[in-house]
Amino acid sequence: MAEATPAVEICNLVKDFKTSFRRQPLRAVDDVSLRILPGEVYGLIGPNGSGKSTTMKALLGLVAPTSGRCAIFGKDSLRVDSRHEVGFLPENPYFYKHLSGAETLRFYGKLCGMRGRVLAERVSELLALVDLEGARDRRLGGYSKGMLQRIGLAQAMVQDPRLLILDEPTAGVDPLGSRQIRDLIFKLRERGITVFLCSHLLEQVQEVCDRVGIIFQGKLVKEGRLEDLIAIEDQTEIILRDASPQLVDQITALVASSPGAALVRTGKPRTTLERLFLRATHGDES
Amino acid sequence: MNHSPANAERSHPGSHGGRILVIALHAFTQLVRMRVFYFLAVFAVIAIGSNFFDLPQHAGPETAGVNVLHAIKSWSLGTMTLFSVVLAIVATALLLPKDVEDRTLYTILAKPVPRLDYLAGKLLGVLLLLVVSLALMDLLLAAVLQIRTSILLGQLMDIANARGWALDEVASQRAELLTHGPNWSLQGAVVAVFLRAAIMAALALLISTFSSSTLFTSITSFLVYFAGHFQADARGVLLDSGAGGHGPVARVTGMLVALVLPDFQLFNVIDAVIEGQAMPLILLGQLAAAGLFYVVFYTLASWYIFAEKEF
Repeated sequence: MAEATPAVEICNLVKDFKTSFRRQPLRAVDDVSLRILPGEVYGLIGPNGSGKSTTMKALLGLVAPTSGRCAIFGKDSLRVDSRHEVGFLPENPYFYKHLSGAETLRFYGKLCGMRGRVLAERVSELLALVDLEGARDRRLGGYSKGMLQRIGLAQAMVQDPRLLILDEPTAGVDPLGSRQIRDLIFKLRERGITVFLCSHLLEQVQEVCDRVGIIFQGKLVKEGRLEDLIAIEDQTEIILRDASPQLVDQITALVASSPGAALVRTGKPRTTLERLFLRATHGDES
Repeated sequence: MNHSPANAERSHPGSHGGRILVIALHAFTQLVRMRVFYFLAVFAVIAIGSNFFDLPQHAGPETAGVNVLHAIKSWSLGTMTLFSVVLAIVATALLLPKDVEDRTLYTILAKPVPRLDYLAGKLLGVLLLLVVSLALMDLLLAAVLQIRTSILLGQLMDIANARGWALDEVASQRAELLTHGPNWSLQGAVVAVFLRAAIMAALALLISTFSSSTLFTSITSFLVYFAGHFQADARGVLLDSGAGGHGPVARVTGMLVALVLPDFQLFNVIDAVIEGQAMPLILLGQLAAAGLFYVVFYTLASWYIFAEKEF
């Protein structure tokens, strides 16, 4: 069977920026190559200034590669028609404050050629999806940070793109808002939409991504399936419910009698601070 | 894959004209919601107040009416010029840097929007604002002039009856008064005011594509605006200077100056209309052609720079 056209294909991307004070240009991205297949959720992680946002901007044609190429579903990123299939949420977006939530989505929808009833239905559908129906006619100037982030996500999805690029989608958002965005990404994955995101929040990347890349000083230093990257190959985890101390002693003795095996740790697993917060504030048991 | 009905629309990505119109209407709404129309109240005060400006009289009472109408037109068209040029420069200089600063530009250019469509849309939005502003001011000016002309015609007839003027003298005075009332030449002058502001908006757009601040764009645009009033004189000096006189270097330099810098002395025709002269249609056509040329030229130059710009 022929291999599917990658949703994202970045080949040997190099991006240099001219600097005023240095003779040498600043290399923001250094020979980065990656492929994201349709339906995958890919996380690009790295410290500030490591080249994550520049890589995303090159993919969107907002900056031109110094060398190498980027393509979206096989179309060169520098071509305008490559953007029919992509939605983008920039880091800390500030949309037009004079527009309401519904007007914002209508504006972006019209830019994508949508009109009339199809657009009106899509706007309502998206406002429901991001839980902003109650604020549809409120101006964005009165939106909270989390609401802005969600309307940003809705505008990115307005033309129903097959690829979403999210730059720090949960930056500055409270745990509840962050959870909503994470749940949205899960929904998108279920619908077969490819998501390419970058974030500082490693726990969230770990929760939602199928594959991750670690970028440092412009270079992609590690890349692969998340399960493969984080699995500790020589260890096995068994989690028991309602185990008596006697049973634990028996298991410990059994392990001790097995040559080559060693018990590394026993104890009670811990929930995350996020789950504790959500349970305390919303009674969420998930 | 489970895509919504919106997905079906993907095969119709929208026309250039449609996208430009969407961006233009949005820019217009943005400017309107910034309450730029408040200046219309100032214009109303000036248009109505100019009725009462006490001008020195050098001739008989029969010319007083003409002087009043002249004052109304002079103040009103002067205010229209000031507001339209300031609005054209400041509004255009504001739009682009604001989108870059707020990163809304990223979200727009990440959609299938060619950069030329974005620039043309922003410019069209400002031009739309100018058209609406000038139309409202024109309406108010025409109303003030119409009312005042009617009153002055009545007063003229009273003077004529009191002094026993001959019919042809009455007709002559009446015609003189009507040349200063609301007429097609006045509408032509308002169109000329718009064309001059449109050129300035396109120029401000060009400067804002490489400028780093709204202030720089505004100041530079105003400097070019003032320089434009001396362009014809400067070209004349250039062509007449040197031993070679009209040499090829001087001619090419003169043409380049005329290409990049509009000759705003062409718009002195507005002053002639204030003086009561008629504006020939051919002259308005020439102004429209010059305006169109500079707007298109500056927009294409903006696109050339903006197409290569990185964000």
